[in-house]
Amino acid sequence: MSLNIFICGVGGQGLVLLTTVIGNACAKIGMKVVTGEMYGLSQRSGAVSVHLRIGEDVFSPLIPYGEADILLSLEAIETMRYLEYLKKDGVVLMNKRIMHPPVETSKIITSKGAKYLTIEDVVSKLKSWTPNIAVIDALGLARESGNVRTENTVFLGCLSALEAFPVDENAIRESIAEAVPQKTVEQNLKAFDLGKKSAHDSLCTLVQCKQPP
Amino acid sequence: MVLKDVLSKEKKNAFMLGNEAIARGALEADVKVVAFYPGAPTSEVLDTFAEALDKFDYQMEIATNEKVALEVCAGAAFAGVRSLTAMKSVGMNVASDTLFVLGYTGVKGGLVIVMADDPHAHSSQSEQDGRFFAPNAYIPMLEPSTPQEAKDMVKKAFEISERHRVPVLIRTVTRVNHQSGIVQLGELNRGEFKKVKWKELGEEYATLGAVARQKKLKMLERSAKLAEEFETSEFNLTRNAGSDVGIVTSSVSYLYVLEALKMLNLQGKVSILKLGTTYPLPKSTVKAFIKDLKKVVVVEELSPYLEKKVYAIAKDTNPHLAIFGKNSGTFSEAWEYNPNVVAKGIASAMGIAYAGHGVIVKEAEQFKEIIPDRYPTFCAGCPHRATFVALNQALKIQAAKGQEHYFANDIGCYSMWIFPPISRGDSSLCMGASVGVANGLSHVIEERVVAVVGDSTFYHAAIPALIDAVHNGNKFTLLILDNSVTAMTGQQFNPSTEFTAGGRQGKKVPIEDICRAVGVEFLEVVDSYDVKNNVEVFRKALDFDGLAVVVSRRECALYGDRNKRSRGEKIVPFYVDKNTCKRPYVCLRTFYCPAYELDEDRQPRISPELCDGCSVCSQLCPIQSIKRVEVET
Repeated sequence: MSLNIFICGVGGQGLVLLTTVIGNACAKIGMKVVTGEMYGLSQRSGAVSVHLRIGEDVFSPLIPYGEADILLSLEAIETMRYLEYLKKDGVVLMNKRIMHPPVETSKIITSKGAKYLTIEDVVSKLKSWTPNIAVIDALGLARESGNVRTENTVFLGCLSALEAFPVDENAIRESIAEAVPQKTVEQNLKAFDLGKKSAHDSLCTLVQCKQPP
Repeated sequence: MVLKDVLSKEKKNAFMLGNEAIARGALEADVKVVAFYPGAPTSEVLDTFAEALDKFDYQMEIATNEKVALEVCAGAAFAGVRSLTAMKSVGMNVASDTLFVLGYTGVKGGLVIVMADDPHAHSSQSEQDGRFFAPNAYIPMLEPSTPQEAKDMVKKAFEISERHRVPVLIRTVTRVNHQSGIVQLGELNRGEFKKVKWKELGEEYATLGAVARQKKLKMLERSAKLAEEFETSEFNLTRNAGSDVGIVTSSVSYLYVLEALKMLNLQGKVSILKLGTTYPLPKSTVKAFIKDLKKVVVVEELSPYLEKKVYAIAKDTNPHLAIFGKNSGTFSEAWEYNPNVVAKGIASAMGIAYAGHGVIVKEAEQFKEIIPDRYPTFCAGCPHRATFVALNQALKIQAAKGQEHYFANDIGCYSMWIFPPISRGDSSLCMGASVGVANGLSHVIEERVVAVVGDSTFYHAAIPALIDAVHNGNKFTLLILDNSVTAMTGQQFNPSTEFTAGGRQGKKVPIEDICRAVGVEFLEVVDSYDVKNNVEVFRKALDFDGLAVVVSRRECALYGDRNKRSRGEKIVPFYVDKNTCKRPYVCLRTFYCPAYELDEDRQPRISPELCDGCSVCSQLCPIQSIKRVEVET
């Protein structure tokens, strides 16, 4: 059995840290994991993506098209950019946040009638690819945790709720504590719990989840 | 990874990025001198060594360019000390002058050179295939597929280098450098750093004319010995399935082959030869593999490097062998591969059905029609954006006066000026070339040439072209964007600050001092954020009848934020005052900052999470409606 997760977002949202936490947790419990990361330029606000693969029979650092079980997007527009990787009945785990690129805003002020893409537009379009879409207010939950920069950790909590996610929760929590700055450990663990709870309220009505404690 | 895995004495399994595994491998091999110029996709090798510098006993330089970095390592290796450098393959173009000679002179201490190609040009100006450096310079080359193999090969490369007295190339591709996986850590026994007595070594490393001719013969002998040794290398793997069809592959393509065979339900049913030592090629190994095959599929990205060798070997060994690769049209020389591309190629070579991925990709395309592009863009607070706003205004005013322009861009974050919504730039080639081509253009075009170069690129390769301009009396405007660090690759230190690798104390080499020293007559240094003043300075520089240099200085926003955080300073964002804003959209039309968006009423607003507090948009607002958020002090 293997699990393929395609992770995408915008530079500065902490995708690499999210990947590192899962990878380190896999190393702790002796699970094979391979990732392919794409972050060419070291700047904020550009498109960033990571192919994350867990399981004994995964080889390539890139997920074949149509084989991702989960498409995790920290920014809603980015979800659409990589749809070819997602299985037809796969799970979309999407942030309720759009970061409008300057090109989009520039188009709106120069052409009458042009409108921003909304979360609702994205969701309704995505429905013809998969019915399993969960929208998570990660920025809101991150704020609730006391640190707005923990959106990535919120999603670690969401993933941990899933039955299909094979990595032990304690290993993830330990790994979070090791990877984030010391003074933010508590906030991150809170963000993790909030994410898990949020998944139980939304995602778990669509796909199989672990029993809530 | 966390740094503690790189430092770990424990022989455990760790999750590591390819680049971190390379650094770990070199540390396990007790490397004593490392030098780099950063470049994607290898920069994290440098970053890992910089982070670990205080924990171990090695010398480290962030050199001014790849050639200097290689020479730093060569110097150490001449004296018998193990050294390592890593660069992207376009960096090797710069370093290759030295590489070719090192093939002749050889080395005493192990010298390992990591060279990364970037198929798909993810973060490079070309899809160069660096493998050809190896046969051309008679330098042995190893190609890893995974982080584990990268670590193992680096370690082994030091042994090979010392046994044969030759530098060894580790050739990677982006998908190996930026691949993470489980790596089994080895022994970490670090020896003490000791200086050696050169005279006692009895070495010499000069080559010219008659000496070079003798050394050439030795070099050929060495390559023959290496070829023989590589016949039994643990890095070449033959998986014999007794099939009529075989696959020859290397690097990350090997992983795509394994994945593709799984997709085609052919796991364990097709013979594979995975080559790890790709120069000199172990010909007998290849011969033995293809001897009884009917078909062979060669799977490699970019040029048909292995494929041509297979053709040559098959000519004598198996003349009826059908060879599938680039020449047959099975695979392209363009762009990177992936499991689907490889599955399609293997299926077509084998004449079996494969539905392919065209349908799903095409279907997904329809979903993308509604989303905007997200080009790489200047970060919120980036000083380059402010410089370009002022430059644009100056160019516009000059254009109204009848002065037209040619805009020569260069390699750095400022390269992003060529992307929408700005899309400005007549040329952008390679490190430092903006100044070089400005010299030539200034002779032949009527327009005023404006060349742009960043601090690190200036030190790296633009200084000779600047001297050329002064010496020959060439007339153009040069803008040097000094943001203190090599920003695009991860804010590494360069001579623009007083810090060297790991934040150690060094000496600053101010750009304006260099310009003055070489005789630049028009020289101004400005603050990038001071837009109004800069428009005037740029206009003067454009009108100057000669070479005019303006240094626009302000630290990189990401680097600046880190400094602010470490000093305990808060970043105070700006906001648009709805009550006074009359929505002329000057902020949006001229500034293109990612912190900006429109609310439901098309009212510009600044996202406080993204705003860097640089203040530049507030200077641009004609009605002073952009204000700093008030905070209690």
